[in-house]
Amino acid sequence: MSYFRKVVGLATAVCMAVGVMSTAVYAQKKGSIVSFNGPAGEAYIGRFIKGIKGTAELKGFDIKVYENQFNQAEQDQQVQQVLAAGVLPDVFIWWPSDATAGLGSLRALHKTGVPVLKINQLPNEADKKYIFGYAGPDDRLRARNAGYMMREAAAAKKAAGGTSFNVIALSYPHSYGGYGLSINAFKDAIAGSDLKIIGDVDEGFGQANGYKGAAKLIASVKDQGIDFVYGMDDAILTGGIKALEEAGYKMGTDVIAVGTVCNGDKQLIEEGKQFGTTLQSPLHEGQLAIKLVEEYLETGKLANYINFTPNPSVTKETIETTALKGYDGKLYGISELCSGAW
Amino acid sequence: MNTDIAVGQTAPNTPGWLARLVDRYSWLVVILVALFLVTFFYGMVTAPNFLTLFNFKTIIRDAALVGIMAVGLTFVTLSGNFFLLSMKETAALAIIAFATAMSQGYGFELAFLFTMAVAVIAGGLQGILIGLGGNPIVVTLGAAGLFFGVASWWSDNLVVSFRRPHGAEWLGSGSFLGLPNITVAFIIIAVVAELVLRYTNFGRQVYLIGANRAAGKATGHENFSMAIKTCIIASACSAFVAIAFSAQVSSAHVNYFSSSFGSSGDMTILVIATVMVAGNSIMGGFGSSLRSSLGAVFISTVDNMMVLHGFNSGPRVLAVGLMIVFSIIVFALVRRGSRVQE
Repeated sequence: MSYFRKVVGLATAVCMAVGVMSTAVYAQKKGSIVSFNGPAGEAYIGRFIKGIKGTAELKGFDIKVYENQFNQAEQDQQVQQVLAAGVLPDVFIWWPSDATAGLGSLRALHKTGVPVLKINQLPNEADKKYIFGYAGPDDRLRARNAGYMMREAAAAKKAAGGTSFNVIALSYPHSYGGYGLSINAFKDAIAGSDLKIIGDVDEGFGQANGYKGAAKLIASVKDQGIDFVYGMDDAILTGGIKALEEAGYKMGTDVIAVGTVCNGDKQLIEEGKQFGTTLQSPLHEGQLAIKLVEEYLETGKLANYINFTPNPSVTKETIETTALKGYDGKLYGISELCSGAW
Repeated sequence: MNTDIAVGQTAPNTPGWLARLVDRYSWLVVILVALFLVTFFYGMVTAPNFLTLFNFKTIIRDAALVGIMAVGLTFVTLSGNFFLLSMKETAALAIIAFATAMSQGYGFELAFLFTMAVAVIAGGLQGILIGLGGNPIVVTLGAAGLFFGVASWWSDNLVVSFRRPHGAEWLGSGSFLGLPNITVAFIIIAVVAELVLRYTNFGRQVYLIGANRAAGKATGHENFSMAIKTCIIASACSAFVAIAFSAQVSSAHVNYFSSSFGSSGDMTILVIATVMVAGNSIMGGFGSSLRSSLGAVFISTVDNMMVLHGFNSGPRVLAVGLMIVFSIIVFALVRRGSRVQE
């Protein structure tokens, strides 16, 4: 036998051995999952990915994550690539960049016969027939809790002799799906109280936009008096609080701030500059997704079609004691559950 | 023939100011600018609370971060090296460097120096590649990915926070004579940059190489060293913005300068837009850092005015886009007119 034949034979044997071993390892897995979601570079999604990967490993699933840069076209392309590869997983996890524009890709995933779990954005009439369930936050509950917290703060202010209850809202872009759900739920929660929204600005996501938007809104409504500020999430609110402080307001005294999502700055709550927030844990969201995948694969259905992550209120008094049990059985404190500077 | 004209007497053939403007810039330019000015002043006068000292400070403060980056980028553009498409990513790398150093307890001074060193390396690397003949767009696109990747990996995509008091509050939240220190820094940087460009040998070399690279080479001024120097200046300005912002919010994340949904759009694009709106020549050799500073204030003014008129983010993004297109048309027409006259 020539040297060349020996080498080829040896290489073939090694490849076959590796193949058999990999198949054996793969066979030990409970199943495989492919997740389509946003980029890990975004703080919230970064923690979500940690949640799904960690829990998938713990539960014995094989998982592949495809990240897009908040770009539906990119996500559509990733879907086509996965389908073209021909190796289908047992479950798809679908977090669309844009639920409406991404409907075609969701339909394509559904056509493969592989069950699809939708994440983070509530199902709508168009897409609910293509998914077997939903796991994620409840924008309305989160905003409603923020409204109730603000009512509580307003009642305390009134009891102390306060007479002005003007609210400014630092919002998501109005074109973003979560905006309508959040602002309506917040308005419902404060309805009937003394609180009155006098301004709403939608500069964008994040601290920098929160600061810029708030600075402009303050200039616009300063004359009417600003007493409360609602941040549609804590990152936006953190920037807003800085703008209010620069404008001469004393946070916690002149202006009471309430946020949501728990993606801002813990120290602001500890210092009393932010009255409170409502927890929305990306880690929990990721874990919940894997729990539902496991439930579906074992029983062929979900006990509940819609599955929200819990949104408890967090204030200065409860900040150190707030904890949630993860779907991996561990108890997580606030620093692990939140996604901002915590 | 006696052509003397008595003092105070208008010569019968001397064109009026309007005719002189038309003669110099063409009817089209004059009508376009007049239409714009009428719209601008109408918006300004009718915007509630626009003409107040508080709002004026808001506008300048809003312009500061983008303005500082635009001043830095102007050096690159004037030297004929187009743009750095890595401004945002340089800031992302710098903010992670600063916050990491601060969170490790190194103090403001050391963290500042460390961050600036990172920025100098980042700018220098790009400058070397551009100076060696690399296409600035390709080089800086690649650098953008590299810097963002390093920053994401370094921070593990998490928010890096440091607790107050941390010694950097004076830059992030302090004020001088009623102006936020970031605004004061913007004014100082803009003035120093303009003086450097106008009155130093380095400044004159920037214009010379930008206007005519061959002439610059013939007089011993190579683009190689110029590209390195201007890229370092731009990177240092990005890093300064990152430090100031991190000092304000006591934290950092790689996406603080990404604004996928924000009304400001992407930070790099906004900085480039600022340089363009100001009428700096994209080919180099014409423009000034003062123009870029005013461009930042101008964009901030229009945005502010629209917020006060109650416009949400969509129309405001549209307005910035229209301003860029408008300024490109007007400045192109003006330059074409100048060449025809020559």
